[in-house]
Amino acid sequence: MAKPQTLELAHEYSMISRDEILARLEDRALAIVDVMPKETFADGHIPGSINLPVAEVEARARETLSNFAQEIGVYCAGPT
Amino acid sequence: MGKKAVGLLKEMDYTNLRYYVGGMADWLENSGPVKKLDEPVSTRQPVRHAPLAVARHFSALEILANRPLERLIGFWVGMIVVFGLIYWLAGISMGWGLQAGNAAVKPDLDGLGTAIYFSFVTALSIGYGDVTPMGALRILAVIEGIAGLLVFGCVISKLVSRRQEELTEEIHQTTFEDRLDRVRTNLHLVFTDLGSVQQLQVEQGVLTTLVLQRLESTVRVFRGELQAVHDLLYRAHIAPDEEAVESLLANLVICLQGLVEISGSLPNGKSPALNAGLCSVANLATDICGECVPRVYAPELKESMDQIQELARRIG
Repeated sequence: MAKPQTLELAHEYSMISRDEILARLEDRALAIVDVMPKETFADGHIPGSINLPVAEVEARARETLSNFAQEIGVYCAGPT
Repeated sequence: MGKKAVGLLKEMDYTNLRYYVGGMADWLENSGPVKKLDEPVSTRQPVRHAPLAVARHFSALEILANRPLERLIGFWVGMIVVFGLIYWLAGISMGWGLQAGNAAVKPDLDGLGTAIYFSFVTALSIGYGDVTPMGALRILAVIEGIAGLLVFGCVISKLVSRRQEELTEEIHQTTFEDRLDRVRTNLHLVFTDLGSVQQLQVEQGVLTTLVLQRLESTVRVFRGELQAVHDLLYRAHIAPDEEAVESLLANLVICLQGLVEISGSLPNGKSPALNAGLCSVANLATDICGECVPRVYAPELKESMDQIQELARRIG
């Protein structure tokens, strides 16, 4: 099954470093979003992060992240 | 997976997106703080919404209880010795202090020993009564009694919970390994089933309803197993050993190959149920070997993963 085209567009995002996340854990302006499945999230996540599994992004993003201009840090299990 | 999510969010007009490439693997490697949900979420049950970071207020006692065991014991002993010193000093400077029998405890080295002994007896709430506090020292002794009990309680609870944690860990590990084994066996079954379906098809020449039904059920089982593999791989904290993952992925490759062969020989008019099954198998397989597999897995596995992705694409 071919990957959707949206993947190609995804290269124009900015990065966020580990140190910045660590320094801004309490900062409400930054929403940290964990896109792993719920079980993985339950097993351990960055404190204060919000769980929004990839499969549910389209369905639930709007209710979870209501402000489109908010700074959002996205992470999953690892790189590769 | 992370990239995919960022891409999706971008499409939805979120403007200020930033991607933490390292993800959980990097976070754990550098020992960043981790929060777990108290109740383990079972994969088969409908999942409740995770509570969003609830601010917790720690009482002084909770902070104390969160110290490691050695520090707690040290604190407890230290507290008792300090109280003993106070009893002794009070005896020297104020003239009223501890009394052993009918005589006041003398402000010498012997008296220091008695004071510390009294302190221990008080903190442990033994209260022999051979040494008794006088005057305001009685208030201090009561305070020490309360504090001693509380700290001692923390020490005990720590000891108990430590053992409990070990047990829970063990149970987790066993269930995890059981599950791994079951998945492996089931994958083998799927493979055998695919073989017999293929044979039936060859024998009968045409695609009978029976063959189609068997294929459908096999695909369904396969789907379930893929889901299980998916869950296993994404558990960040219990990483299956590489051998297990390797054999799992090898099994997956074989099963997918079988499936590709069969679905290739099927006439175009597949049943909708089968189509949906195949589609979700392909999706899951792609996801399993997607961009978000934890970094702990060796590069050799990459090959199997690429193979799986390629096969998944052909099924879809």
